[in-house]
Amino acid sequence: MGAEQAWLLAAIPAGAFVVLALFGRYLARGGDWLGIAAIATSFALFFPVLADFLSEGDGLGPFTAAVEWTRIGDFSFPMGIFVDPITIVMLAVITTVAFMVNIFSVGYMKGEPRYWWFFAVLQLFAASMILLVLADNLLLLYIAWELVGLCSFLLIGFYWEKRSAVEAAKKAFVTTRIGDVGLLIGIILLWREAGTFNIQEILRLAEEGHFGHTYLLVAMLFIFIGAMGKSAQVPFHVWLPDAMEGPTPVSALIHAATMVVAGVYLVNRMLPAFEVVDETLLVITVVGLVTAILTGFMAFAQTDIKKVLAYSTVGQLGFMFVAAGAGAPEASMFHLMTHAFFKALLFLAAGSVIIGTHHHQDMNELGGLWKRMPITGTTFLIGSLALAGVPPLAGFWSKDEILVVLDKQWGPWAVSLLGFAAILTAFYTTRLFIRTFLGQPRDPHIAEHTTETPPVMTGPLLFLALLSVVSGLVVFHEVGTALGFPGGFGEFVFLPSHGPHGYEFDAAFAGASVVLALLGIFTSGWLYWGGRLDRSTRLAEWQPRLYDMLVNKFYFDELYQAAIDYGILGFSYVVSWFDRYVVNDTGVDGSAQVTGYAGFILKHLQSGRLPHYAMSLALGVVVLAVAGLVMRG
Amino acid sequence: MVPLENYVALSGILFALGVYAVLARRNAILVLMGIELMLNAVSLNFAAFASYLDPDRVTGAVFAVFVITVAAAEVGLALAIVIRLFRLRATSNVDEAAELKW
Repeated sequence: MGAEQAWLLAAIPAGAFVVLALFGRYLARGGDWLGIAAIATSFALFFPVLADFLSEGDGLGPFTAAVEWTRIGDFSFPMGIFVDPITIVMLAVITTVAFMVNIFSVGYMKGEPRYWWFFAVLQLFAASMILLVLADNLLLLYIAWELVGLCSFLLIGFYWEKRSAVEAAKKAFVTTRIGDVGLLIGIILLWREAGTFNIQEILRLAEEGHFGHTYLLVAMLFIFIGAMGKSAQVPFHVWLPDAMEGPTPVSALIHAATMVVAGVYLVNRMLPAFEVVDETLLVITVVGLVTAILTGFMAFAQTDIKKVLAYSTVGQLGFMFVAAGAGAPEASMFHLMTHAFFKALLFLAAGSVIIGTHHHQDMNELGGLWKRMPITGTTFLIGSLALAGVPPLAGFWSKDEILVVLDKQWGPWAVSLLGFAAILTAFYTTRLFIRTFLGQPRDPHIAEHTTETPPVMTGPLLFLALLSVVSGLVVFHEVGTALGFPGGFGEFVFLPSHGPHGYEFDAAFAGASVVLALLGIFTSGWLYWGGRLDRSTRLAEWQPRLYDMLVNKFYFDELYQAAIDYGILGFSYVVSWFDRYVVNDTGVDGSAQVTGYAGFILKHLQSGRLPHYAMSLALGVVVLAVAGLVMRG
Repeated sequence: MVPLENYVALSGILFALGVYAVLARRNAILVLMGIELMLNAVSLNFAAFASYLDPDRVTGAVFAVFVITVAAAEVGLALAIVIRLFRLRATSNVDEAAELKW
């Protein structure tokens, strides 16, 4: 089993989806065992692929394999897989997280209706995402891209009896679709000029200057719009918090591995082309920074555990874009990986809280859960600290990397803005943990009935907690080589034009990073420690308008609603007026009336008397004869 | 040899008489007879022009035979209609059969 069989990783869950979708409801236990077996096989097969990949050449690949899919005239569409270090990292993340989520779901979804359907779509979701990262051409990538969007639509709207879930699914679908149109335009633009969909070919042509500068700039910006939509960057971020309507394991999957990181992956994959038109890098960085800071504030005033985590994901994706914009795929992919592990952990732990407390997820009702749910509480704490960036947990190393590369590329202004976003991250994460797990239960009735969840749920939590602790260490050369990689993360994933980049411990940045994290943690602790809310309440009363703005998430939804109401509906009104009065009344009905009136006038010619007809016939002949004579001169 | 002009003149007179009959008479039988006159004028024209242009061939006569055949069928049909009309209306005046109007 070598890298050329990597497509099996996607094919196996896809096969499981077909079986589950058709026969799942008749299988014992809804076929959850089949789903788990499929994704476990993918997870297990990843290791031989990795071993084969590392044993070839310098262990950096890349590896390609393609078959002709179809041919139109002289134009052939090859479909193939492409495996390079970025793909390897993505495969590791997707298979691991999907595997854990599948196991967790057995506990979480127990007794839910359409249990089999849930597992079916989970498999399709994982398969689509694996296909997306394996695709060697933009066409296949786009197909997988839309499949991923479809799966998230299906899973967000899983409880389709609930109106809010249906609307959230619709919102996610429509919002990402706006980005997808951008991506499609970008792909077509690139194809038009390059004559191929193959990503590596396009990147090579871009670097050789085959495209005009402005042309490539426009195409890459369209590609980036696609990435923004999928990765929920401002201003497309509105769908992700609403996507919390889906079952919690789905949130974990969407946020960590299979949906939102697709945008980050795409940007990193296409980064050499983005670099050619380096104005785009600034755009990417600014979008990432704005997103990281805005969503940091939005997470402040949320009281739903899952919504806080949702905003946190958007913000962390912003971090990844910032790193990509700094031309450092290693930092971006590194943060993607560590974030996937601790965010999946946090979401699954939140799911564990929801099950443990019998479906309560509002922080205002919770509190003091640590004693009741020691494993969930502890793992949640590990995830939170990793997210806040406390050493030596995973999030610290990746955030530190991003700050370092950001300093190199853009200088202090970007670093200080991102540092600020890091403080916000630490702040809301601490708030979330304190208000959920520490202090006195705000609703004793809920706390009384809270119990720790079964091992099928805590198991994945423990495994992901372990990864959240250790996965950051792969940044070190020694850890990398010990695992068989050519070196640390930066020596495995890197931009060819930049070359590998070993990790150097920079005390100033590491120190600053720790200080930022602690600053956020202590501010938050001062405000919320011990379940006291008086300080934060006073803060809210001190600036009620600011607080309102945070609670309403900077009025983005209202803004869009207004844009739809006044812009689109206003335009529709004009169009419908035109349709009603010009097209219908004047054009369609008007022509009918003209015809009808003409008939009313002309019917009098029809006398029914034979001599009249004979006379007109004779006159016609005479007229024709005269006309013929005149014409001949 | 009778010159062509005489044939054409006779044919024109016959045709004009036929048109007059069709336009001026009210009796359906007479209208039919007018039509027959016009058909015969046309047949005469055919035969005359054919023998004038190419005396060795009888194409015009063949046409005339066809016209006579069609005219016979037409008269058979038309008389049947006239008889039906007479049975229904007790008249053969074409002005009375004016139902074919708006």
